[in-house]
Amino acid sequence: MSELTHTSAQKRFIGGQLLGSSQLVLGAILAVLCIAISIAAPQFYSEANIIAILRQCALVLIVASGMTMLIITAEVDLSVGASLAFVGCIGMAVLNSTHSLALGMLAALAFAGGVGLFNGLVVTRLRVNSLIATIGTMMMLQGGVYLFTREAVQNHNQLVSFTDLGAGYVGAVPVPVIIAALIFVVAYVTLRFTTLGRYLYAVGANEKAVRLSGLRSERLKLLAFIVTGLCVGVAGMILSSLMNAGQPTAGRGFELTVIAAVILGGTSLLGGRGSLFGTLLGVLVLKVIDNGIIILGWNQDLQMVVPGIVIILATYLDIIRNKANVR
Amino acid sequence: MSLASTASAKAPPSLLARLFARQELALLVCLILVLAFFSVTVENFFSVRNMTNVLGQASLALTAGIGCAIVFISGEVDISIGSLLATIALPLIIIMNDTNSLLLGVSGALLFGLIIGVVNGYLVAYAGINSLIVTLGTMFIMRGGVYLYTGQRAIPDDASLDSFIALSDGRLFNIIPYSAVIAIVLLAAFGYMMQHRPFGRQIYAVGGNQEVARLAGYDVRRVKFVCFIISALLATVAGIILAARVGSAQHTAGLNFEFQVVAATVLGGVSLAGGIGSLTGMALGVLILQFLSNGLRGLGLPTEWQLVITGMIIIAAVAFDEAKRRRANGG
Repeated sequence: MSELTHTSAQKRFIGGQLLGSSQLVLGAILAVLCIAISIAAPQFYSEANIIAILRQCALVLIVASGMTMLIITAEVDLSVGASLAFVGCIGMAVLNSTHSLALGMLAALAFAGGVGLFNGLVVTRLRVNSLIATIGTMMMLQGGVYLFTREAVQNHNQLVSFTDLGAGYVGAVPVPVIIAALIFVVAYVTLRFTTLGRYLYAVGANEKAVRLSGLRSERLKLLAFIVTGLCVGVAGMILSSLMNAGQPTAGRGFELTVIAAVILGGTSLLGGRGSLFGTLLGVLVLKVIDNGIIILGWNQDLQMVVPGIVIILATYLDIIRNKANVR
Repeated sequence: MSLASTASAKAPPSLLARLFARQELALLVCLILVLAFFSVTVENFFSVRNMTNVLGQASLALTAGIGCAIVFISGEVDISIGSLLATIALPLIIIMNDTNSLLLGVSGALLFGLIIGVVNGYLVAYAGINSLIVTLGTMFIMRGGVYLYTGQRAIPDDASLDSFIALSDGRLFNIIPYSAVIAIVLLAAFGYMMQHRPFGRQIYAVGGNQEVARLAGYDVRRVKFVCFIISALLATVAGIILAARVGSAQHTAGLNFEFQVVAATVLGGVSLAGGIGSLTGMALGVLILQFLSNGLRGLGLPTEWQLVITGMIIIAAVAFDEAKRRRANGG
C-alpha cells in the first residue's frame, strides 16, 4: 500500500514537471497544423483570415479563462452555454429600454455573475456534484430563456459603442480580441503569480489539506464559479453585439467547446493541474482546425468530428508520455 | 471518510440493505405524491391510457438509464449515449430499407452499438483516459459523423415493416406498449444481475473502491470495459425504439438525451462517485421525471417550465440526498 502511494506521488511530481513539455507538444501540433493548412491553402496566412481566427478565439478564450480556474479547483460548469444565450438576451433587452451600454453591460454581468454565484452556492453549501448541479442550472436556463423571450431580442437603438464591442477595431485588432487578451492576462497573472492563484491550485490538488491548513476552500471554489460566470457575462454581450441581437438559441454546445479547449490545454479534470497558457493553445488549436476545414472547403460537419478525435488523442498522448517518464 | 467507510463495512448487511431500501422508499413516496397531485389537478391523468402512454415514453430513458446507472456504479460516466441514438439509427434504417428485414436491421444496429461500446470501454479501461473526456469526444465524433453522412437530413423508413412499427404502436394485450415491455424485461434482467450475480457485485466493488477490488483479485479493467459495452448496447435498444417512434433516422435524434438520463439516474440515488445506487432507484427517478413532465403538460404549462422545474428538482433531490448521507455518516 505504501509502495502504491509512493509511485502515485512520484507520478504527480513528474506530471508537474512535465507541464511545460505538454504545452510544447500542443505548440508543435499548432505549428504543424498552421504549416499544413497554409501549404494547402495559401490564403490561410492572409491578414483577414488571421483576424477572423482571432476573433473566433476571443469568445471561447474569455469563458475558457474562467473555466480553467474552475477546473483547476476540481469543479466544472456545464451551464455556460445556456447562460451565454440568456445573458445576451437580457443585456440586449436592458440596452433597448435604457439606451445605455453601461447599464446593459451591468445587467449582463450581474445576471451571469448571479448564475455563477448560484452554481457555486449549490456546489459548496449543498455539496451537490458540480457536474449534476450545472446540468440542473443548464436546464433551468434553457427553459428560462424561452420564458423570457420566444424570439431573438433585436437591437433597437444601434448604439455605436455597443456595435464596436463585437465588430469594432482598435488599429488592426478587433475589440473582442483585445478584451479577451485583457481577461486572459489578468487571469494568467492571478493564477501564476498571486497567492490566490496558488490557493486555487491547492484546493484542486488536495482540498482537505487546504481546509486543515486554515483556508476556506469553499470560498475559493465559490470565487472560481463567480469568475466563470462573469466571463460568460462579457462573452454574452460580445456575442449579442456580433449577432446584433440576443438569440435564445445561441450557445448550443458552447460549454463543450470551452471544456474541450481547457482539457486539450492539459488542465486535469481531477483538479490541481493545468495552466492558462495551455488553455490558450487549446483554443487556438481548435479554432485553427475549424478555420482550416472552412478554408480547405471541406464539409463543415467535420468541425465536430475532428475536435472529438483531437481531445481523445491529446489526452492519450499525455498519459503515454507520463508513463514513459515514470519508467 | 475512510473511518466512515470502514464503519459501514463492519455493519451487518441487513442494515445496508435497509438503507438502500429506505432510499428507494423515499423515491417511491415521491412518485406516489407526484401521481396523487396530478390525479387531482389534471383530468384523465390517472387513466389507463395516459399511464401506459407515459410508460411507453419513459421506455427510452429507462432502457438507456440501465446502462448509465451501471457505468455510474462502476465509477465512470458515459455521456455519448445521446449521439449514439442518432448513430445506430443509420445502419438500422438503411439495412431495413435494403433488405426488408427487421432482424438484419436490428443486428446491424447492435453491431454498431457493440463497436461503439468497445471503443469507449477500451479507451477508458485499457488506455486509461478519463471517461468524461472519452465519451465527450465520441459524442462529438458520432454526432459529427451522422451529420456528415446524412448531410443533416432525415433518412425515412421506406420499408415500413409491421414488426418495426409495432415497436412504437403495438401494445401487449392491447394495454402495455411493447417498448415498455422491453424496458421492463431488461430492467428485471439487469437488476437481477446487479444484485444477485457475481459480475453485478464486482461492478459495485470496483465502483466502491477500485484499489480494494483489485487487491481482491477482480479484473477492474475488464469490469469497466464490459460496463461500457452494456451501456452502449442498451442505448442501442433505446435508439431502435426511438427510430421506430419517429419512423426515420433523424440526425438530431437524442440531442441532450444524455443529460436527461444522467439527471434521472442521479435523481434515482445513483452516485457519480461510484459503488452506490440501484437500478430500481434509477427507474423510479425516470418515472418521477416522466410523470412530472406529463402532468405539467396536462396543466397546460409550456414545455420550458418543465425544463426549469426538472432542473430545480434535480438539484434539490441531490442536495437532500447529500445532506442525508452526511447525517448518516455521523457528521
